[in-house]
Amino acid sequence: MKQKKICQRLIRWETMLVVLLIVLWVVFDLKDAASQSADIANRKRTIKDVFNLPNMISGIGPYMLYGFMALGMTLILGMGGIDISIGAIGAMSAAVMAVCYGVFKSAMNPSLALVLSAVCCLITGAACGLLNGALITRFRELFPMIITLGTQLLYRGLTYLLIGGKPIQYKDDTVWESLKMLYNGSIKVEYSEKVLKMAKGATEPTESYITSTMSIPNILLWFFAFALIFFVFLHLTKWGRQLFAIGTNREASRLSGVRVANFELIMYMICGITAAISGMFYIGSASGTMRADALKGYEMYAIAAVVLGGFSTNGGTGNIIGVILSMFVFAVMKKGMGTVFLLIENAMDLAVGVVLIVASLLPNILEDISIKRRLHRQHKEAALS
Amino acid sequence: MSEMNNKASKQSPKAKKKFDFLTFVVEHREIPLLAVLALLLIVVTLFIPTYLKDNYVTILRNSSINLVMAAGMLCVLLIGSIDISVAAVLELAAVVAGVLMRGGQVSSILGMFAIGIGIGIIAGLINGTLVSFGRVLPIIVTLGMTYLARGLIPMNFLLGMEKISSIDLVDPFKSFILQPVLGIPLIVYIALAVVLIIGLFLKYTTVGRSIYATGSNPEAAQMRGVKVKWIKVLAHVICGATAGMAGIMRLGFYNAIEKNAATGQEMYVIAACVLGGVSVMGGYGKITGVVVGAILVATIDSAIPQLFTGQTMMTDLFKGLLILAAILLNVLVQRATNKRNLLGRGI
Repeated sequence: MKQKKICQRLIRWETMLVVLLIVLWVVFDLKDAASQSADIANRKRTIKDVFNLPNMISGIGPYMLYGFMALGMTLILGMGGIDISIGAIGAMSAAVMAVCYGVFKSAMNPSLALVLSAVCCLITGAACGLLNGALITRFRELFPMIITLGTQLLYRGLTYLLIGGKPIQYKDDTVWESLKMLYNGSIKVEYSEKVLKMAKGATEPTESYITSTMSIPNILLWFFAFALIFFVFLHLTKWGRQLFAIGTNREASRLSGVRVANFELIMYMICGITAAISGMFYIGSASGTMRADALKGYEMYAIAAVVLGGFSTNGGTGNIIGVILSMFVFAVMKKGMGTVFLLIENAMDLAVGVVLIVASLLPNILEDISIKRRLHRQHKEAALS
Repeated sequence: MSEMNNKASKQSPKAKKKFDFLTFVVEHREIPLLAVLALLLIVVTLFIPTYLKDNYVTILRNSSINLVMAAGMLCVLLIGSIDISVAAVLELAAVVAGVLMRGGQVSSILGMFAIGIGIGIIAGLINGTLVSFGRVLPIIVTLGMTYLARGLIPMNFLLGMEKISSIDLVDPFKSFILQPVLGIPLIVYIALAVVLIIGLFLKYTTVGRSIYATGSNPEAAQMRGVKVKWIKVLAHVICGATAGMAGIMRLGFYNAIEKNAATGQEMYVIAACVLGGVSVMGGYGKITGVVVGAILVATIDSAIPQLFTGQTMMTDLFKGLLILAAILLNVLVQRATNKRNLLGRGI
C-alpha cells in the first residue's frame, strides 16, 4: 500500500517537472564547467561561470513576461476552452495605456495620469476578454479557437489603428519610466562568487572570491504573488472546483446548479485582464517603448507553458504549481541554451517542440499501459477462477 | 445534423417547389461570400476606377500560395482536426530545398518540388500519427511541430543553412514560378491544379468521401468499415504535403526565404477556410468555398492599403471583422433553418 503511494507520487506531473528542471540544470552546469576548463586550458582571461543561480534569477525577466498570460490561460484551459487572442489583447491594452497617458499627462499630475492609464489598460483587457467570452458563450456551436482567431486579428488591427506603424514612447519622462521599475529589480542581494584566475606562467588556476550583487526582478515577485492568488482561487475555493467541473462535464455542472455561461464569461474576462497586465510589463521590459506588433506569438508560449504544466486542453485537470514549474523549465532552457550552448533560439525551439509533444503524449501512453495491465490481470484472474 | 435537416426539408413536397433562401444559403455557404467579395470589389472600384484591371493578376498571384495550403488545410479541418504548423513546415521545406540547391545537389524544378513535398509529408506523417494513434490534441501536436520545424531551420552546424537568397538559386527554377502563360503567372495554374486535384479527390473517390465521413461521425464511419485512424493520418499527410509544396512555390516567388518569414500565415490559411464556410468541427466544407475565401483574403490584402493609403496594417482589422461576421452569420442562419425545419415538422 505504502509502495503504491510512493509510485503514484512519482508519476505525478509536478514531480516529473521537478526532475526535468534538475536534469536541465545539471546538464547546463556540467557543460558550463566543461567550457570553463576548456577556456582555462586555452589560457583565456578571467573566467566566471555563466550559468549559476544568481545570474539566472537576475536575468529571468524576459521569460516571465508571458507568465501572467499563462496564469490566465490556466482558467481557460481548465474549462476546456482556448483563447489565442491574448497576445493581441495584451498589445492592445498596452497601446491604450500609452495613448491614454499621452492624453492625461497634459491635463493632470503625471503620476495620477499613469495610474489612470493603467486602469484604462486593465479595463481594455477586461472588455476584450468580455467580448471573447460573450461570443464564445452565445455561439456554442463554434470552437473558441476560431472565434478568438477572429478577435485576434480584430484586436491587432485596432492596435495598429490606435498607434500606427511607429513606436510610441515618452522620452525623458520619469513617471513613464517608472514602468521600468515595475519590471526591473529593486531588491539587491549580495553574494560571493568564485572566480578562476590564471596567473602568468602558472599551470593551475587560482581560485578567488569576489562579492557581487544580484538584483531580483520585480516581475518575478509579481508573478509569485499572482500565482499565489491563482493557486488559492483554483485549488482552495468553490469556484475553482466549479471551473474544473465545467472542464470535466459542462452539461452535468450546469444541471447541478453552476451558472456555466456567466462563469465562463467572467473567466474569459479575467484572462483578458492578465493579458493586459502582461502588456503593462511589456512596456517596462521594452524600456517604455510600445510597438503595435508587441507580444506577437506570446499566446502560443503561454499555451505551451500551461500544457507542459499538466493542463489538458480537454479541460478538467491541472495544477498551478505545475504551470509555475514549467515557466521555470522554459526559462532555464532558454537561458541555458543561450548562454551555455550559444544557440539562442534555434535549439530552444527544437527542445520546446520535443518537450511539448512528449509532455502531451506521455500521459496517454501511461494510461494505455495501465489499461492493458489491468485487462491482463483481469484475464489472468478469470482464467484462474 | 444540418444536412439531415436539409434533406428532410427537400423531401417534403412544399419545400421542393418553393425556392428556399435559407436552405440555399446553408447549402452553398460560398454564395454569400462571393457577394461580399463582389461588394468589396465594387466599393474599391468606385474609389479607384482602374483597380480591378491593374490588380487582378496580383490578387490571383498572391492568393495562390495561400490557396494551396488552404486546400490541404481543408482536408485536416474536414476530419475535425487542425494544423497550425503549416507556416513552419513551409519555411523548413523551402530552406532545405534552397540549401540543397545552393550545394548543387538539386538543380531541376521537379527535384525541388519532390524535396519540398517529401519534407511536408514527413511532417504531416508525424502530426497525423501523434493525433490519431497518440490521441494527443491536434492543436498541441501541431504547436509542437511548429517549434520543431522552426528549430530545425537554422541548424547551421548540420547543413549550413541560415538564409536563402537569390544568389543561391539556379536559373530554371528561379524564373519558373512567375513566368507568364497567357498573361497569368504559372504559379496560379499550379495552385489551380492542386485545388482541382484535391477537390476531385474529396468529391469523387472513396477515400475522399471517407474523409467527410470520418469528420461528421467517426464512430459511424468506423462501423461502415472506414479505417478512421489511417484516414486521419492521410488528411494530415495531405496537409503537410501542400505546405511543403507551398514552401517551394514561395521560394520560387520571392527567390528568398529565412526563418520566421511566414510567421502567422497559418492563421490566414485557417481564415481562408473558415471564411469559405468550412466547419472546424469537421464533416462540412467545400473546395469552392476555400477558393473564394483565399481570394477574398488576398483581395483584402491588396485593396485595403490602396483604399486607406499606406495603412497596410489595417488589413488585420478587416479580416478579423469579416471572419467574425462570417462565422456568426453562418451560425445564425443555421439556427434559423433548424428552427423552421422543426416548426415545419410540427415540433
